[in-house]
Amino acid sequence: MSEKKNHPKNDNPLDFLSGESNRRSFIKGLSFAAAAGSAALTAGCIPSADAATTEEMKLRWQEFFKEHYRLMTQEEKDGTVARLERLAKLQKGLDVQMSSQSPLEGVLYGYAFNITRCEGFMECVTACVEENNLDRKTNTQYIRIFEMEPGQLDPGTGDGQYYHEVPVDNKFYMGTQCFHCEKAPCIKACPTKATWREPDGIVVVDYDWCIGCRYCQAACPYYGRRFNWGQAEIPKDEITTRQHYLGNRLRPKGKMEKCTFCIQRTRKGRLPACVEACPTGARVFGNLLDPDSEIRYVLKHKKVFRMKEELGTDPKFWYFID
Amino acid sequence: MRALHEKNLRTFFVDVIRWNLRGGIGLQLFRLVLLGFMGLGVYAYSHQARYGLSVTGMNDIVSWGFYISNFTFLVGVAAAAVMLILPAYVFHDPDFHRVVIIGEGVAVGALVMCLTFIMADLGGPLQAWHLIPGIGLFNFPSSILAWDVLVLNGYLLLNGLVPAYILYSHYKGRHADEKKYRPFVFLSIFWAFTIHMVTAFLYQGLPARPFWNNPLMGPRFLASAFAAGPALITLILAVIHSSTTYKIDRSVFNKLRLIIVISAIINLIMLFSEIFKEFYFPTHHSSSAVYLFFGMDGHNSLVPWIWTSVCVNLLATLVLAFNPGKNNPKVLLPACFFLFVAIWMEKGIGLIVPGLIPSPLGEVVDYLPTWVELGVTLGILALGITVVTWLIRAALIIEQDYSGL
Amino acid sequence: MVKTLLVGHVMTRICKFISMIALFFAFFVAHADASQKSFLDEIKGADATFDNRSVPVTKQVTEESVLAKEPYQGGSFRVLARKKMIGRYKCSSCHTEKPTTVNRGLELTHGDVYLTHGRGEQALSCIDCHRDEERDYLEDKKGRKIDFDHSYQLCGQCHFRQKRDWLGGAHGKRAENWAGDRVIFNCTTCHNPHSPRFEKRFPATYSVPLD
Repeated sequence: MSEKKNHPKNDNPLDFLSGESNRRSFIKGLSFAAAAGSAALTAGCIPSADAATTEEMKLRWQEFFKEHYRLMTQEEKDGTVARLERLAKLQKGLDVQMSSQSPLEGVLYGYAFNITRCEGFMECVTACVEENNLDRKTNTQYIRIFEMEPGQLDPGTGDGQYYHEVPVDNKFYMGTQCFHCEKAPCIKACPTKATWREPDGIVVVDYDWCIGCRYCQAACPYYGRRFNWGQAEIPKDEITTRQHYLGNRLRPKGKMEKCTFCIQRTRKGRLPACVEACPTGARVFGNLLDPDSEIRYVLKHKKVFRMKEELGTDPKFWYFID
Repeated sequence: MRALHEKNLRTFFVDVIRWNLRGGIGLQLFRLVLLGFMGLGVYAYSHQARYGLSVTGMNDIVSWGFYISNFTFLVGVAAAAVMLILPAYVFHDPDFHRVVIIGEGVAVGALVMCLTFIMADLGGPLQAWHLIPGIGLFNFPSSILAWDVLVLNGYLLLNGLVPAYILYSHYKGRHADEKKYRPFVFLSIFWAFTIHMVTAFLYQGLPARPFWNNPLMGPRFLASAFAAGPALITLILAVIHSSTTYKIDRSVFNKLRLIIVISAIINLIMLFSEIFKEFYFPTHHSSSAVYLFFGMDGHNSLVPWIWTSVCVNLLATLVLAFNPGKNNPKVLLPACFFLFVAIWMEKGIGLIVPGLIPSPLGEVVDYLPTWVELGVTLGILALGITVVTWLIRAALIIEQDYSGL
Repeated sequence: MVKTLLVGHVMTRICKFISMIALFFAFFVAHADASQKSFLDEIKGADATFDNRSVPVTKQVTEESVLAKEPYQGGSFRVLARKKMIGRYKCSSCHTEKPTTVNRGLELTHGDVYLTHGRGEQALSCIDCHRDEERDYLEDKKGRKIDFDHSYQLCGQCHFRQKRDWLGGAHGKRAENWAGDRVIFNCTTCHNPHSPRFEKRFPATYSVPLD
């Protein structure tokens, strides 16, 4: 503080470059060098574009600046789908067919899970992992199956990590996944509207719009969301190539993902992979707005309940007992 | 110091930079150490940028960890500048008027740290432009995070521009027109309460997390902020008083001590209220508190953490309240330091991590930050301290010069 | 005079701020009652028939199916055929009036069929289901002839609750699609009629601990 009184009136801040070396200027120089080094490091830590072609760079540039999916016109949606298909071919040598199909009219998907029929085989889990291109390295699973003791319906009392012969006598099995709530807390929480409820009831994520803040994951009461903590690794021959933009396409790291009721299948009239895979027929899926559908039959004739009903989230996933 | 007629905006910036690159050997070494830590932070972040957040200790259950814990705590420190502004402008206390600029410098530094912590925690930081209203899609007013983005940046502007105006006027040897900035000062008083309530609402508004979903979060955040923030400011003022020629009157410290004691006692009362609610008749909703205070299913890594924090908090509050030694700084300054650390422990890791454990489906895991998280945190802390040092140094030089005129 | 002006200025600013807060509170309170309503009311009111054929189904059911003899709530539906799945149908190729000699006698005389259907007193025997005179058909307890493709009519005589659920959709499975023509699995697609209980097995996978 005292040295300011000794400064000559027309002191030039760049004097140190031409002046003689002394302790102060040495330290100054060192700190500049350290700052420059840090700047270089920062530049280096931006994900490298190792040997990318100009076409790939151009596609990535366009993808980076694109709009939110909901605000796109159909041509823009087709455009981004085409770019993503081309990028998959360039970067991974994959031939994917990506769809940007809109929701079907007059359809609201509902799901029912029969906890008497589930025997804990977990075929649904494997089918989901394969169909939705989930990360094999971290064993990401949208579906969790719990081995429960009769008497309590809270999965907290169950065992989600069993691996023995099933079914065990006197235990029942209960599965959870994203319940696609009508009043989803995750949709309310997202600061960029990267997750929303489609008109056919599916709660989707625009992976390219998500900023990875994980607020939705904190808001979900059912452990329905998964985050891509690292880059997903899937063996090339196991990748499902029939994809949907909002569904099972390959996700970048740092983005949120979740069950989408297999949007790439259900919008084409097919059953989700879990429903199709279940060997005991414990899973029921259909259109809630169709009074003759199986799901409506279940809701009408069976004792159904939903998980954590008191939270008011209005999920479209019911459990029932035969 | 250059002549009065030579000063303009360009010279203002040049002079600020010049003042902050000069100084005694102690100060230069301090700056070098901070720069080193920032370099470490950059290196650690480069790992995270390359491999993703998997290099941190976070996972799908504990999806928020060390970064968000520090963010939460530092928003409180930023809000606490209001505890200097309030006496200075509402009660017209002349001693506080002298130190207000330091409080605002600390607020700006804390806010810079908060925003950097958020950026470091994002999985897709390059997509952060999606948050800008108008260019991206902003979920206002539904998302509390959107509110938080707005109020934090607004507070940064308020606490940055008002002192900047005052300092620039003093730099030019002019009297700063109080009529011009007084409304903004009052706005910043309300805004300080707002930023911390909104940050509390981030957690309070989640019915999925019963540990957080209680009405006391907002007031509790305010109480702990107004205890920890002024404690930090006390320490900084003590450092300034002892190492520079800018002298601060004893009465400032005495009044700050009162503010800290009242806030710390309110904080402890609220803590007791929460503990009563969780443990008088424990329900499934209390499982997070059980995990925190007693451990669960063999996972008890946070138990010593929280008990240390609560005990140190209690002790420091008692010392500050009963004031043995009659305002002896050798007693009060360590008490302030320990109170600050205890509140950091309880409001940071002791709040965020237990809120997420057990998972919504009842699974219990432990959380430990990795070297990447610690490195980035140290880097951001060093950045904050650097910002605070730069601002305070420039402010004190200008103020001393101005009062000498 | 200046002081009162200043105070007035500050007061207007404070009032503006408080009114802003009050407005936002009103917004939140107005939405509070929304938590009492549910979309289930909308569903219960949705009685218009949905034309399943309007959905452009891309993957058709490739397995053979037959038109079911009973309707469900949505009209007629199809059931996966069974006869093609049975290795040695038609049964009458061996089971004729005259005695027959066969090679691989033990295997071909159904020695490989392990019959555990029913427990204790209610254990079933072969002729409880199979039609004695016409081995190509099944027979229920009222003596009615039942085709192998329509075995649900037989199973449903005892397991009437499951049959009712199966017709409605709460039991069993759809083949491939939730839309389009309803094609569902028949009883024997999942259950081996001779030992219908699902066998114990290891799960297909497991969940990893997250620490």
